[in-house]
Amino acid sequence: MSSVVETPAPPRFQPGDYKSDLKPVWCAGCGDFGVVSAMYRAMAELQLEPWNTVVVSGIGCSSRLPGYVEAYGFNSVHGRALPIATGIKVARPELNVVAVGGDGDGLAIGGNHFLHASRRNLDVFYVLMDNEIYGLTKGQAAPTTPSGDKTKSTFFGNPEPSVDPCELAISFGATWVARGFSGDMKGLVDLMVAGMSHRGFAFLNVMSPCVTWRGDDQFKVMKAKLRSLPEGYDRSSRAAAFAYTRETETLTTGVLYEAHEPSLLDRLEAQRTKAMEGHEGLTTEKVLKVFFPPF
Amino acid sequence: MPALKERPKPFVLPEFCKGCGRCISACPKHCISMGTEINPQTGLTPVVLDLEHCNGCGLCIDACPEPYGLQQTPADADFELQDPEKLFGDRMSDAPEPVDIPNQVVPLPKMEPLVLKGNYAAAVGALLAGCRHFFGYPITPSTEGAELMAKLMPHLDGTFLQAVSEVATVNMMYGCGGAGMRSMTFTSSPGFSLMLEGISYMIGAEVPGVFINVMRGGPGLGNIAPEQADIKLCCRGLGHGNTHAIVLTPSTPQEMLDLTMLAFELTFKYRNPVIIASDGYLGQMTGKVSLPESMVKPGIPKWAVYGDLEHRRNLISSIYLSEVDLEKWNVVLNAKYASMQVEQRADLYMCDDAEVILVACTTPARTAKGAVQVLRSRGIKAGLFRPITVWPFPIEKLKTVLPNAKRIVVVEASNGQLEDELKIALANARIREYPEIEHVRHYGGVLPQMEEVILKVAAGQEVTV
Ligand SMILES: Cc1ncc(C[n+]2csc(CCOP(=O)(O)OP(=O)(O)O)c2C)c(N)n1
Ligand code: SF4
Ligand code: SF4
Ligand code: SF4
Ligand SMILES: [Mg+2]
Repeated sequence: MSSVVETPAPPRFQPGDYKSDLKPVWCAGCGDFGVVSAMYRAMAELQLEPWNTVVVSGIGCSSRLPGYVEAYGFNSVHGRALPIATGIKVARPELNVVAVGGDGDGLAIGGNHFLHASRRNLDVFYVLMDNEIYGLTKGQAAPTTPSGDKTKSTFFGNPEPSVDPCELAISFGATWVARGFSGDMKGLVDLMVAGMSHRGFAFLNVMSPCVTWRGDDQFKVMKAKLRSLPEGYDRSSRAAAFAYTRETETLTTGVLYEAHEPSLLDRLEAQRTKAMEGHEGLTTEKVLKVFFPPF
Repeated sequence: MPALKERPKPFVLPEFCKGCGRCISACPKHCISMGTEINPQTGLTPVVLDLEHCNGCGLCIDACPEPYGLQQTPADADFELQDPEKLFGDRMSDAPEPVDIPNQVVPLPKMEPLVLKGNYAAAVGALLAGCRHFFGYPITPSTEGAELMAKLMPHLDGTFLQAVSEVATVNMMYGCGGAGMRSMTFTSSPGFSLMLEGISYMIGAEVPGVFINVMRGGPGLGNIAPEQADIKLCCRGLGHGNTHAIVLTPSTPQEMLDLTMLAFELTFKYRNPVIIASDGYLGQMTGKVSLPESMVKPGIPKWAVYGDLEHRRNLISSIYLSEVDLEKWNVVLNAKYASMQVEQRADLYMCDDAEVILVACTTPARTAKGAVQVLRSRGIKAGLFRPITVWPFPIEKLKTVLPNAKRIVVVEASNGQLEDELKIALANARIREYPEIEHVRHYGGVLPQMEEVILKVAAGQEVTV
């Protein structure tokens, strides 16, 4: 037994190592700065190797995030971050795949993909930066814009009810669902670490204010509503989680729901294993057996 | 004891069986198997029944998702009955014959011209044309048009609905247009790409609608600067199938208004979508816009599926399962496209004696017009031929100026998409004698500059003054 206390080696990656050379073009005060900083820290905490990590997005202010992260990734097609992430993950299951984007990108044009990524329990960590508006196109209503709010496309007040993305994800089968706030760095880092470590579809809705199109005080308003989940909260219960969705007066952050179920890749792998039983390896005979099984 | 009546056994109507096989698994007696022959009318492979062991349980009939796929054999089975018209009779309707409720023209008071952005001018044009349904998804540089609609529609008893994507938008227009209403959208290139599937459906089902594509730089996300690189989509690529639509190309805010009004007239005249191909520069450009002398209060066309007793008989669909029927329908549509040739429009500027014809539309046409003025001042006989419809290409007008032309220079912000339309039109009109076509082109949001047009033309041109 050695009595020498070893000083731990400094971690290989510091948060700053995940910062790319691009300078963000977000407006000063945009909530998305908080999200990208939290992502650097979470990646450092998990010591993710940049060359084994992919960050993909759709289109929007928030979707610029992959450009600011030192990893593989790209700013893809409006609304299509999740199908692209699916393609990447299925092709290269060993990569850490993170998808990011805005509320318009993920819930309007990409809403269908979001529902089905949840249902499939796709092995991807998805961060939705929810500013309750279309930022990049300069201020039209999004699916999360509260009913009644005036925006550039809802001049008479938003006539539509809004949607709570966490509620949607839980209903459709996502197995890790959390809500965070871009102004709460520590909380956000913890959520990201947990989300990135989850096996299956992990969905993090980050309330991330748009100072330009939702006004300077969106940050203050959100901050004043912040609450944590109560002591002893049972995150394995869908019913318990739903009590913290569609909030108006409060904004509860934390992991609302967590379950451990086979992910999409688990299921695909199980099918492959079963189908290959008895004819592993590709001899001609085996290939023929696959195409012409003896009936 | 009365004899047990034998339960009727099923028979399959091959034209209505899609070969899904649900009946095969439903049958406990294994009487049904997948057929091997393709039905020529449907292109699908119907199931075949071998009823030796059939006990008439009817489970297959319950399993069949097609209303007419499997039927119970009538007592006096006579297989002429396989004709469903005879079997089920004609669909009866006692609805009255629908009639056209005509549009009304409402005079407008005289007004000073407004100073409007191109996109706003188009929105105003649509409102004056009686459009009261707007669907759209925000995309720069077209969004102001939608935003103005959001402000104005509720005041005019109209509806503004922000769709969740361009796919949703075009299908909302399909529904609204099918009801005979005037609907429109503003979009820009990536959004227009997404709408193409729906546009093909609208063309196939003869549903009107006006699409304003404020073209931007591509391919892909590209940028939000002006380009003309969707001309190929508008003229040659409106989704799948044999499709065409009139494509209008404005070049001033005034034309954004006028041509939008015209677009509504044409879309209902032909029951076919109409595309306005504008560009990012024109959409954002401000100019003086005079309002027309009258506006339109739309009626209801007699073909509309308006949803009341008068319109009960109407059907809107693009499905023709039999090849023979679909070919006939294509012939009808092709004849309609041919009839649209009379809508060719062009603006000729100083073309009468022109030896150098510049061909350009939308914003590059403004540049070309400036170039013509400078060239003329230098004694070069230049003129501008500006298509206002790029489909149908105004070849008849072009014919009138070709005899003098020694050079043709196409000025455009794309890789020759307007030039291709010109060449196709020349070929279709069997014009073989024309000067070699030259061009000034830019891409990706860069527009042709007046100086380079002048340089291009002046090079190799004898100055006569
Ligand atoms: C097919 C298509 N339609 C529309 C657009 C225009 N567009 C870009 S981003 C965006 C929405 C942005 O909102 P959101 O996703 O909430 O991101 P934010 O900017 O708020 O972060 C839209 C409509 C596009 N790029 N592609
Ligand atoms: S417009 Fe809004 S979302 Fe976009 S960068 Fe500015 S503050 Fe952020
Ligand atoms: S009636 Fe019953 S036994 Fe006869 S074909 Fe149908 S499922 Fe089979
Ligand atoms: S269920 Fe009906 S449509 Fe499907 S295979 Fe059987 S008969 Fe055909
Ligand atoms: Mg947003």
